Amino acid sequence: MLEIEGLISGYGKGASVLKGIDLKAAKGDRLAIMGRNGMGKTLLAKTIMGLVRPSAGKVKFDGIDITGQHAHSVSNMGMAYVPQGREIFGDFTVLENLRMGVIGKPGLTLDLDRIYGWFPILKERERQRAGTMSGGQMQQLAIGRALIGRPKLLLLDEPSEGIQPSIVHEIAEKLRMICAEEGLTVIVIEQNFDMVEILAERVAFIENGKITGEVPVVQLAADPDLITRHMGL
Amino acid sequence: MSGFLPLALDALNYTSVLLLVSIGLVIVFGMMQVINLAHGEFFLVGAYAVLVLQGLGVPFWLTLPLAFAAGGLLGLVCDAAILRFIYHRPADTILATWGLSLAIRQAIVIIFGPSSQQVVAPLTEPVNVFGISYSSYRLAIIAIAIAVAAVVFAVLYKTAFGLAARAAMANRPMAQCLGINTRRLDRVTFSLGAALAGFSGAVMAPLMSVDPQMGMGFVLPAFLSILVGGVGSPAGAIWGSVVIGGSTTAAASIWTPVIAQIIVFSLSIAIIRFLPAGLSGLRRK
Ligand SMILES: Nc1ncnc2c1ncn2[C@@H]1O[C@H](COP(=O)(O)OP(=O)(O)OP(=O)(O)O)[C@@H](O)[C@H]1O
Ligand SMILES: [Mg+2]
Repeated sequence: MLEIEGLISGYGKGASVLKGIDLKAAKGDRLAIMGRNGMGKTLLAKTIMGLVRPSAGKVKFDGIDITGQHAHSVSNMGMAYVPQGREIFGDFTVLENLRMGVIGKPGLTLDLDRIYGWFPILKERERQRAGTMSGGQMQQLAIGRALIGRPKLLLLDEPSEGIQPSIVHEIAEKLRMICAEEGLTVIVIEQNFDMVEILAERVAFIENGKITGEVPVVQLAADPDLITRHMGL
Repeated sequence: MSGFLPLALDALNYTSVLLLVSIGLVIVFGMMQVINLAHGEFFLVGAYAVLVLQGLGVPFWLTLPLAFAAGGLLGLVCDAAILRFIYHRPADTILATWGLSLAIRQAIVIIFGPSSQQVVAPLTEPVNVFGISYSSYRLAIIAIAIAVAAVVFAVLYKTAFGLAARAAMANRPMAQCLGINTRRLDRVTFSLGAALAGFSGAVMAPLMSVDPQMGMGFVLPAFLSILVGGVGSPAGAIWGSVVIGGSTTAAASIWTPVIAQIIVFSLSIAIIRFLPAGLSGLRRK
C-alpha cells in the first residue's frame, strides 16, 4: 500500500532532517511511528502527503509513484491526513468541515450518517462553529473529515496530543474498530503508548533522520524499557 | 431631508461599486496572499471596453457583461502568464503586479491616447425619488452593483466552490490535503476579481471621464476598504466599503474632496490601529 525508499527531505533550504527513510506498510497494516520531539515525524507525514517535496527518494502509494505529486492529487488517490494540531477550519461549522472532506473528490457523496454513527458528538454539534469545540471533539471532527472522503490509507500525526487520557483511549478504540470495519491501512505518528498499543500492530522508531528499528507492539507492551531504548532516551 | 437623501444615494452608489472592486482585492489576497497592484487596471480595461463597444454600436447594457468577460479574460491571461510562476513569493508579486499595471496603462495610452474621453450614459432622465430629483442611471447602478455583489456573496457563502475557496483562504495546505486543487481556485478567483473590477469600470464609465488614470480613484479606497474591513474575510469587504464609501461621500459634501481624503485616511488608520484584524475581527472576539 505504501512504500517509502531512501526518502531525504528537509524544510526549505535548510539541512535535510530526514536522511534516508525506508518504510513499508501493506494493505490493512496498522503501523505506528514513534520518535522524540523534533526528529522529523511531522516532516515525514508532510512529505508523504505531498506538502513538502523530498530532495531524494521515492514514495509509492497503491503501486503508483507519488513522489513530488501535489497534495490534492495524493488526497484524491485515497490518502487521508489528520495533521498534528488537527487543523480543522475554526470559522466553519462542524458540518462545513465535514463537507470539506468530500467537495474536492469527484463522485463522492456526503455520507454523514456513517460518520455520525461513529462520532455522535459531531451530529449533536453539527451547526456549532468548529473552533469553539473542545480538543477531543475537534480531533473527532478531524478524523471524521478524513474518513468521509473514503480513503484507503489514514495518516494520523499525534492524534492524542492535548487530549485527556480517557478520551485518548476512547478515540483509539473507535479508530481500531473503524479500521477493522473498513479494511483501512493506518499510519499513526504517536508519542502516547496507550494510543499505539490499541491502534497499531507494529512500531517503527525514527531517530536522527532514519528508521532505527521496527518492533511488534506486543513486544513493547511486555517490555516498556524497549521503548525508552529505541527512542534513544 | 432634501439635502440628506441625495447624499445618502450618492454614498450608496459609491459604496456599492467600491464593494465590487474590493471583493476582487480581498479574495485574491486571501487566496494567494497577492496584493494585486494591477487591480485598478482591470477597472480601466472595463471602462475602455465600454468605450470601444459603444463605438462599434453595441447597446450600453450589453457592454456590461462584455466588460465583465474582458476583465475576467485578462485576469486569466495575467495568471497564466505571470502569477502562476511567482504566486508563492509574495514580495515578487507586488513588483510583478505593479509592472503589470504600468504595462496595461501604457498600452491603453498607446492605443487610445492620454486624454480623457466620454461614454454616453444609457439613462439620462432624472427621476423622482421621495420628492427629490435624482439621476436614474445612478439609481440603476446601485441596484445592479448590489445585485452583483449579492450573487458573488451567495457563491462564496452558499456553494461548494465558495466553501472550497474560503477553506483555501483559511488554511491552504489543509485544503490541499483534502483534495482541493488550490491552483485552479487561484485562477478562478483571480479571474473573478478581475472580472468584477472590469464590470465596475464599465458601470462607472458614464459617470467619470474615461482616462488612463481613472482606476486609481477606486483602487486606493478599495485597498483601504479591505484593510478596514479585515483581509481575512470576503464579508469584511462589505463593512470596509460602507465605512470608506460612506465617510468619503459625507466628508466630501461638507468639505473639499482633499480634506475628505485626509479624514478618511485618518479614520482608516485609527480603525486599523485599534482593530488590527479589521471590522470583521470584531465578530471573532
Ligand atoms: N517550518 C519549518 N522550517 C524550518 N524548520 C522546521 C520547520 N518546522 C519544523 N522544523 C524543524 O524540523 C525538525 C523536524 O520537525 P518536525 O515537526 O517534523 O518534528 P516532529 O518529530 O514532528 O516533532 P514533534 O514530536 O515535536 O511533533 C525540527 O528540528 C524542527 O525544529
Ligand atoms: Mg510533529
